[in-house]
Amino acid sequence: MHGFLVGVLGLALALAWPGPVRAAERVRVTGEIVDTWCAITGIMYGFGTAHHQCAVWCAVGGIPVSIMDDAGNYYMVLRLEGDDRSVAEPRIVSIQTHRVTVDGTLVERDGVKYLLVDEVADDRGIVNLTHEEYGIQPFGE
Amino acid sequence: MTGRALVRLALVLLLAPGAAFAAQTWGIPHEKPVVLRGEVVDLLCEVAGECTPDCGGGRRQLGLVTTDGRLYPAVKGEVFFAGATLDLLPYCGREVMVDGLVIENPAMTLLFVQKLRGSSREKWKPARAFIEDWRRRNGPAREWWRADPLVREVIARDGVFGIPGLEPEE
Repeated sequence: MHGFLVGVLGLALALAWPGPVRAAERVRVTGEIVDTWCAITGIMYGFGTAHHQCAVWCAVGGIPVSIMDDAGNYYMVLRLEGDDRSVAEPRIVSIQTHRVTVDGTLVERDGVKYLLVDEVADDRGIVNLTHEEYGIQPFGE
Repeated sequence: MTGRALVRLALVLLLAPGAAFAAQTWGIPHEKPVVLRGEVVDLLCEVAGECTPDCGGGRRQLGLVTTDGRLYPAVKGEVFFAGATLDLLPYCGREVMVDGLVIENPAMTLLFVQKLRGSSREKWKPARAFIEDWRRRNGPAREWWRADPLVREVIARDGVFGIPGLEPEE
């Protein structure tokens, strides 16, 4: 009986736990700045030059941007070099689709990697040329 | 339980505020129609402790912490190419009910806010605060995303592909 109660209590605690939260860690991330919505949902082709204009629209519309690294991990950017603005921030808008290397702090919670960028260590501009294959996403213009 | 009691229970469940999933599905992989109840939080405050009294006043990404403690980033509202920050902002630090989609992609979990209300006594309202605010600032436009001053500036400078001088073929 005692073991059963301990089991029930353990299950109750597990269900009440707020979810996986990993401690913040310092990271360096290299990848493409992408529009989080289009890239994650796949509602259209959401990468490189083909999607650049749409990525600008979405960033101006306040959809969060992420960095997609070469392994396919996504990091949602909540702060960029001391600027706490992450909604339609003009600098974030202007570096859409760029391949960057950033240093910052990573916090993982409930299936999302949140990234606080301390420094953009390298910005190679746009190097993912996808427009010849995918045209202009969406609408073709 | 009698048959009448079962019917009554079914009606209660059907009519209970928040019980019916009215969300519009989009056919997105991993999407799940939901009605969530939770507290509106500033994501930067919630994950890093960098807080402001007003959830950033529209400058920061917002999310929802549900009663089970899960954090959902609210990335999309009902307006084309626009987020849900201005819809959630009036509820900063308070409870809200959200009708929409949770995208449980293994790469990242997202919340698409379609409708929201402050309590079960209120009517649902569509998450369209972005366009209402945009029109107040810029006037009417058929496609806000092509008419926006910042979009026009960036596209005029860098082109649709983001590389100056690289133009679409006619």
